[in-house]
Amino acid sequence: MKEKPVKGEKRVFMTGNEVCAWAALAAEADIMYGYPITPQTDIMQYWTRLAPKFGKKFLQTEDEISAGFTTVGGVIAGKRAFSATTGPGNVLFQEPMSMAEMMRIPTVVIIPMRGGPSTATVIYSQQEVTMTTFGGNGEGFRVVYSTSGHQDLYDYTIKAFNTAWKYRFPTFVLSDGYQAKMREPLTIYDPAERGIKMVETEAMVGLPGMPGEDRPPQYLRNTYNTEEELFDVVMEIAKDYEKAALEIMEWEHFDTEAEMDVLILAHGVVSRAARGALPLLKAEGIRAGHFRPITLRPMPEEEMRKAAKNAKRILVVESAYGQFLKLVKEALYGLDKPIDTLLRPGEGITAEEIVTKIKEGR
Amino acid sequence: MRIVEAYIGEYASGKSENAINRALELLGEKRRVTLVDLDTVEPFYTLRPIKKKLEEMGLAVIAWSPEETMGLGEAGSLINQEMIWALHTEGDIIFDVGYGVHGSKIFNLIEGANTDPDLKIYVVVNIARPMTSTKEDIVAYIRELGQVDGIINNTHLGNETTSAVVQEGARMITEAAAELRLPLLYSAATKDIADQIGAQDQMGNPVKIITRYMPEAFW
Amino acid sequence: MTQEITKLAPAMPKCWNPETKPHKFCPGCGHGLALKMLGEAIDELGIQDKIVFGCDIGCSLLSWDFFNIDSVQTHHGRTTPVITGIKRARPELIGIAYMGDGGGYAIGSQHLVNSATRNEKITAILINNTNYGMTGGQMAPTTLPGQKTETTPYGRDPEESGYPTLGPEMVAAIAREGAYVARGSISNQRQLKNIFKKALQNQIDGNGFSFVEVLSSCPTNWRTNAEATWRFVEKDMAEYFHTGEFKVPGQKEEK
Repeated sequence: MKEKPVKGEKRVFMTGNEVCAWAALAAEADIMYGYPITPQTDIMQYWTRLAPKFGKKFLQTEDEISAGFTTVGGVIAGKRAFSATTGPGNVLFQEPMSMAEMMRIPTVVIIPMRGGPSTATVIYSQQEVTMTTFGGNGEGFRVVYSTSGHQDLYDYTIKAFNTAWKYRFPTFVLSDGYQAKMREPLTIYDPAERGIKMVETEAMVGLPGMPGEDRPPQYLRNTYNTEEELFDVVMEIAKDYEKAALEIMEWEHFDTEAEMDVLILAHGVVSRAARGALPLLKAEGIRAGHFRPITLRPMPEEEMRKAAKNAKRILVVESAYGQFLKLVKEALYGLDKPIDTLLRPGEGITAEEIVTKIKEGR
Repeated sequence: MRIVEAYIGEYASGKSENAINRALELLGEKRRVTLVDLDTVEPFYTLRPIKKKLEEMGLAVIAWSPEETMGLGEAGSLINQEMIWALHTEGDIIFDVGYGVHGSKIFNLIEGANTDPDLKIYVVVNIARPMTSTKEDIVAYIRELGQVDGIINNTHLGNETTSAVVQEGARMITEAAAELRLPLLYSAATKDIADQIGAQDQMGNPVKIITRYMPEAFW
Repeated sequence: MTQEITKLAPAMPKCWNPETKPHKFCPGCGHGLALKMLGEAIDELGIQDKIVFGCDIGCSLLSWDFFNIDSVQTHHGRTTPVITGIKRARPELIGIAYMGDGGGYAIGSQHLVNSATRNEKITAILINNTNYGMTGGQMAPTTLPGQKTETTPYGRDPEESGYPTLGPEMVAAIAREGAYVARGSISNQRQLKNIFKKALQNQIDGNGFSFVEVLSSCPTNWRTNAEATWRFVEKDMAEYFHTGEFKVPGQKEEK
């Protein structure tokens, strides 16, 4: 048996991209397919250095459409295949991910968001929320984890494989260029040591036995003939998705159980600024709380509404022009609360800026 | 005597921090110093946020700012004339070298590097980095780099660093250094940790106080 | 007595934009040389005002404001179809699609193949420097066997990732009569300029698809000094990628 890449537990200092490569190794991923695009290329570069030492595989494909479809292929064959992309690469990934949604293929893709639309910047944004949660020509039957730091990146990259293979929806680890390049300490660990068992993979093709004799041949498709047929197929997926959603959704909340003047809604790395703003606001006599959805899909709507009910008003903060805001409005529909926004497409947001915005609105 | 030093190392090992500290140390001795960013694998993610701040402190910095490039985002062109001819600048030169697969071969691009008698290449090692966390890995890694003149123990865990962490690094890297027959120049530590360790680490290497200039986050 | 100092025009092609010089390519980069030969070809043909110049993502993107010519930066690998779109809509314009090895042989390969088979009347120019420069030196389709890059840290293993793409050979095999296909090198500038002129003239004459690959240098990512850089282009690359013309309109196919 090959040596385990991560043994026991260790406190280390890494960049976000490296964390993802190590987490994939710890999660017993078998193969990575990918194409270079800043700022996620280091995930691939680290994987190519480490993979041969642990008997893992890699292919640099000709583009992201291919990276997505080769990942789909690897998963169909029953292996833990994954990829990483961002920006224009994420746009190209929507075609293979639509196929994964329809055919219930448990792909895992890591997305450190960069500026958009189009080439924009290689640096940072939260502008791929709409695309990652509801991209392609599907209904958004996907799982999207929004991480806020390196421990999250490690924990949720491992979890992504298990969520994907257990519930069979394409699963994404959505972070950003700052997390990708930032350096922080974290604890890397062997999942087994923490009682995390990796969900067994299952091949959809290449099964043992003679097809037609020992077993039926596997016929996989994503095409349907009539409207009624499609309706049935999609409603079946929807049913499974709604059921799984209750088990999958995750969130964090800070000081949202008491009455608040303002509830700050933010996700990913911006959530750190929101948390940082809370004590500053308290010092100024403003009662503030923060609700952070960890899964953007499925969105923990019930819990968000519960927190929102306790606040006089709501502030949505994101490094995009309303992508997270749209999801919030959908979740809070019907709740009669004023919603303010701090929208900064492509720019980082500090705790101080959130405080200033809240004080302005008073 | 002119001081020409290059700080090279694994990804996030702390080479930029050590390069900056060294440059500022020399500046403090009233020497003329230029800091050169040779990170061609990750341009902009290291010196960019602090270039201005360092220049305000009196340091000459040769590095790209994103505004100077196309502004079209794809990291920009990686090396410019100033960097190529850096060794012809008067005064001391400190190079910060990126992590890439080619190690110190970047110096093939720097005019005069191969014949400069003053150029010293120091590799910065942090054993909390998984690829350099055992003596064997450290030795293998350094052997791949090409010309190396000395090793620096920069073992740390960011905000969670303790003196024990630094000392463990000192122990492991001293062993690696002995095997490689290279000097271990110093163990780097922030002031609070250095005060706990003393003037020498447990292996007898000098302890150097460094100030952290690199932001942990980029905003 | 005051002396009038006449302003000397800098020694660069007329169609170059002097305000964006010195250019932003790395010192020793082959793009600078290729664009100089291209500029001279454009000057000699007198077509500066008829050209639309498209560039890709990667180092070719730095040619975006290089010429006094209308230019458009596209997405990675999509320069060929954008220029095709322009040319189809306005056939009187001369379309140049300028890209790197990724933009033509990886993500852009389907567009290259289809432009060739449809005999699109554009001129595609591909700069081959055996790596993805702008993103930090990863493997390209043209990376040589054994060559170390950031995604082939142990050297490119042809068993794992295939052999370098022979682009002009492929295009010549699938292109139709009227196409012009050639490979030049920055190490032979006179030949390169001639090739560019023929590739542009082929479009002016309305014959068909013109494709030129240029063997070029990337000392930054190769980590080579001047001598080693030239040796790599002139010897190592040239052994694998042969220069010359692979398809010329009117010439009989060589069996």
